Amino acid sequence: MSHKLENYLRTYRKRSALSQDEVAFLLGCQNGTKVSRYERFARKPSLETLFAYEVVFGAPARELFAGAYQKVEKKILNRAQLLTRKISRATPTPMATRKLQILEAITSGSGTGPDKLL
Amino acid sequence: MSSLPTKDIRVLALDPSTRGFGFAVLEGPNRLIDWGVKETKVNKNARSLKLIDDLIDRYQSSIVVVEDYKGKGSRRCRRIERLINDISKLASERKIKVRSISRVKIKQVFAESGAKNKYDIAIAIAKRFPELAPRLPRFRKPWMSEDYRMSIFDAVALAVAFFQPETASRDKAMREELNVQS
Repeated sequence: MSHKLENYLRTYRKRSALSQDEVAFLLGCQNGTKVSRYERFARKPSLETLFAYEVVFGAPARELFAGAYQKVEKKILNRAQLLTRKISRATPTPMATRKLQILEAITSGSGTGPDKLL
Repeated sequence: MSSLPTKDIRVLALDPSTRGFGFAVLEGPNRLIDWGVKETKVNKNARSLKLIDDLIDRYQSSIVVVEDYKGKGSRRCRRIERLINDISKLASERKIKVRSISRVKIKQVFAESGAKNKYDIAIAIAKRFPELAPRLPRFRKPWMSEDYRMSIFDAVALAVAFFQPETASRDKAMREELNVQS
């Protein structure tokens, strides 16, 4: 599969038939310059802007910023594997077992986070 | 279609026209990523190539699809033939595969949905990708020039034809190769 694009903001904007200036207005920017930069991957939006995009396009951030998400996910998986190895080497305790369960959930991609294991 | 191993490869389809060129970027047969018309007024081929280079940079497409101007059913002027050749060269320099699809092939692909001519094909595309519906030009009368937006639909038609099973099966080896690379 090809790598995902850094973001799909342009796709979603064009699908919703909005202009860059109109999206800028919705995001609370002065004009479409920032929107253009986000779409050309020349600038990364702030957390507030990211949520604003979610609201405007009704799509989760992981879909809007699929490429960025993919990169972060890959890094986290690598780190989770390293941490798993590190914890496995230590003396087994109930706490360590719990941590390993969580790390296993992260690396298997079957819904991460401690909430799922509760 | 969906059984193909590389259904999500990103394809950039280009349709040069008198005003510049229309383009469409697809990830798989049913996901339209970007589309539009880029206009050039002077030094058309050189400027078009620069714009195409920018598009390739932005979308990092695996394959560039252009019209096979030597194929049956194609009528293109010398300038556009040269531009298509230059696009192929540019893509090869960037180590991107180029696929040429003839007009006849496009007509065959869209004949299944009852589309007989260019306008019918554009309607079929607008149905498949509703986001393009507002850009569908009105029916062209014999005395009217072709609407510039038609090149968007021509570019999408090229990409859709590329993803069709019969076209795709011939390119399976090419795609598998791309899969291995990615």
